[in-house]
Amino acid sequence: MLRHKRYIVLAAILVASFVLSSTIVVAQGGPEPLGLTDFELCPPFDDVTVTVVGDAGHNLAPYDFWADDFAEMGINIELIEVPFADVYQVEKTEFVAQTGAFDVVTFYPAFIGDFASNGYLMPLDEFMSREPASVWDPHQEDVLAPFRVLYNEFGGSTYALTIDGDVLVLMYRTDLFENPDEQAAFMEQYGHELRPPETWDEWLEVGEFFTRSAGETLAGEVLDQDFYGLAEFGRRSFSWAWFMNRAASAGVMYFDEEMNPLINSPEAVAALQNMVDSLQYAPPDVLNFGYDELRDAFIQGRVAMVVQWTDVPKKAADPEQSVIVGNVGVARVPGTLVGDTVVHRSMMPVGRVVGIAADSDVPDAAYCVIRHIAYSRSLEDVSTALTGLDPYRQSHLDNVEAYVPLMGEENAQAYLAGLEEALQDGFPEIFIPGAAQYEDVLDLHVNQALAGQETPQEALDAVAAEWDEITDRLGRDAQIEVWQQALESYRALGLIE
Amino acid sequence: MSTQRLFNLPERLGGIFGSDRRHRLAAFLFVLPALVMLLAITIYPLIRTLQLAFVSLELSISPNEQYVGLDNFVRAFTDDPRFWNSMKNTAVLVFVGVGIQLVFGFVLALMANEMGRRRTVWVTLFMIPIMIAPVVAGFQFRVIFNDTFGPLNYLIEWASGGRITPPAWVADPGTSLLTIMITDIWQWTPFMLLIILAGLESISQEIEEAAQVDGASYWQLLWRIRVPLLLPVLIIGVLIRMMDTFKTFDLVFLLTGGGPGSSSETVAFYTYLNGFRFFSMGYTAVLALIQLVIIVIISQVFLKLQQRRGAI
Repeated sequence: MLRHKRYIVLAAILVASFVLSSTIVVAQGGPEPLGLTDFELCPPFDDVTVTVVGDAGHNLAPYDFWADDFAEMGINIELIEVPFADVYQVEKTEFVAQTGAFDVVTFYPAFIGDFASNGYLMPLDEFMSREPASVWDPHQEDVLAPFRVLYNEFGGSTYALTIDGDVLVLMYRTDLFENPDEQAAFMEQYGHELRPPETWDEWLEVGEFFTRSAGETLAGEVLDQDFYGLAEFGRRSFSWAWFMNRAASAGVMYFDEEMNPLINSPEAVAALQNMVDSLQYAPPDVLNFGYDELRDAFIQGRVAMVVQWTDVPKKAADPEQSVIVGNVGVARVPGTLVGDTVVHRSMMPVGRVVGIAADSDVPDAAYCVIRHIAYSRSLEDVSTALTGLDPYRQSHLDNVEAYVPLMGEENAQAYLAGLEEALQDGFPEIFIPGAAQYEDVLDLHVNQALAGQETPQEALDAVAAEWDEITDRLGRDAQIEVWQQALESYRALGLIE
Repeated sequence: MSTQRLFNLPERLGGIFGSDRRHRLAAFLFVLPALVMLLAITIYPLIRTLQLAFVSLELSISPNEQYVGLDNFVRAFTDDPRFWNSMKNTAVLVFVGVGIQLVFGFVLALMANEMGRRRTVWVTLFMIPIMIAPVVAGFQFRVIFNDTFGPLNYLIEWASGGRITPPAWVADPGTSLLTIMITDIWQWTPFMLLIILAGLESISQEIEEAAQVDGASYWQLLWRIRVPLLLPVLIIGVLIRMMDTFKTFDLVFLLTGGGPGSSSETVAFYTYLNGFRFFSMGYTAVLALIQLVIIVIISQVFLKLQQRRGAI
């Protein structure tokens, strides 16, 4: 009897192992190779291990997708996943302590100045120019200019390759905006046609219109829960970027040429007031909305429109994640009327690049890894709903067929057109050393204004004062020099005038 | 090396050094490992922190230090409202939160003490929150407090028949600190229960019986006998919890991220931001030293209080 019991336990373990291993296989299943990119794998290494660090979750999935490719190159990938908000400090801490813990570092490009100027990263120019080009060339000429110059280069050298080109776009529910009853009601209430908001004032108007309580009717259906017109990124970390969408479109820049803050101008204060005003049409817990919450509010059908990163339309097209499949429109982020023209600006927050740690023992293999992710398989990685990676190469925009299986022809074309438009409106982060401090202060006070702890004027005056203190602490002359270089890059890329 | 040879070390060393020096050297050698450890993990970091407090070390710019005298201290005391706001939030958690834990823990301990043998099961169940990692507790309460999917707001609306609109706990600056406090109370009240129960059990039955024979009521027994005898235990419990709560970081990180605005930023969280997000090491050292001084003062006050009670 005892022996029987042992067999039963053994069988149960085997079954459990089988089920678990099947789950792992499913979890590792990624997009099919598209065969639209020309590349050759690196000559095989002798069973080398490359340690990759990056923000945990779907953006590290490509290392699983292409595990067979890495195996063919004789490379074992060891992933170190860290929380989204902690990438900088984890990597910086290891760099400062010179632990040599990582070979490949995934980081947000706002920190390239910090990492490159302090000697933490290996320049990539020599690798990129090796022959044959089919093995080593990452085809940087194909990378869209802002994502190449701002994200990859520092002091004339390339230190990183882009894997995620972030820019914000407006997403809205086409089924609501195109509903004849809603259109008629809007016309009656506001005296003009219902359309995706062109300006931030219209953003408030449309937000107000679609905000309904449970029991009211929306597009002919009685709501069983409250519905909201809009949502914002309200949580501390990137709420400042949603403010800058507004401020930049009104002509606000972070600093002047001499690094005097321009952030508390009347235009900036009006922009922040607009964001504060919008909260009344957003879910009550909007101040706790980060990326996940904002995305889910939209794709779970609780809000009519959001401004979000460009991976969200892909998520919205996936029936496993979304309840609004086929009902998503993509448009330019609203703008501000300046004279007779509406000026649009889309922040380009976050983004992801990969570089090689200066103290890596396996730089050749590390380069093969980053080139494979950043170039060879990048089209597959940005056109699937399984990652949060967004297009950043011209070839990503040109190959519409890559997105068709997920979104359908029409939606895919609309998505890429919207994205291309958003890229033309792109507005950069603060790409200088110390960016984390400047952005944190801006984020804190924007958030305090949203929480009602400060008025917009008080908040932005405080930002200006604290930015001056930071600049003095970090060394005003040196900061002015790097800021002027950054401004030059922004202008060269057409991001600012 | 055999045990015998180990214990003979002083004698064996005596062959090399004189008898008096022999013993001192042996003692020194025995203490040496602990001394080295103490120097490496306590004394050196403390001295380095003290030294850093007088320099500007902005690692996001350069690894070079620059002597700035008392500038970092001046900034903390006169020019950093965010630091004082975080101190205020921390003080609320320390005094109000720990106060509530003390009251709840005391009441629960009295109830458990009355339960006799049956209390074992209840006390074990009460211990579960302590065994849960703060990270898990943080996530758990993040779900509980969620405005859309969380069970708390669902229950409030259900119980009030929809008449009460519950707050967006974590997203409301008026309640965000409260969510941290509630989670901390949930997790650490059982600790208070445990040490107060141990204190109650150590009170001599004879004293209580004598008081009862003299006609003391339940409340007189509680206030005149139990509470005074429990005071040393209460002081130690409160001291441990205050020091621990003063360092609250994980719950802030997980539940609110310090927001909305700065409404739930604690001093430990603010120090972390300065150290590991801004990499301003000089200023971080000053913040750490200020906290150290405050904790030392609090502990000294409590220990003096206890000494005055004649407990030590």
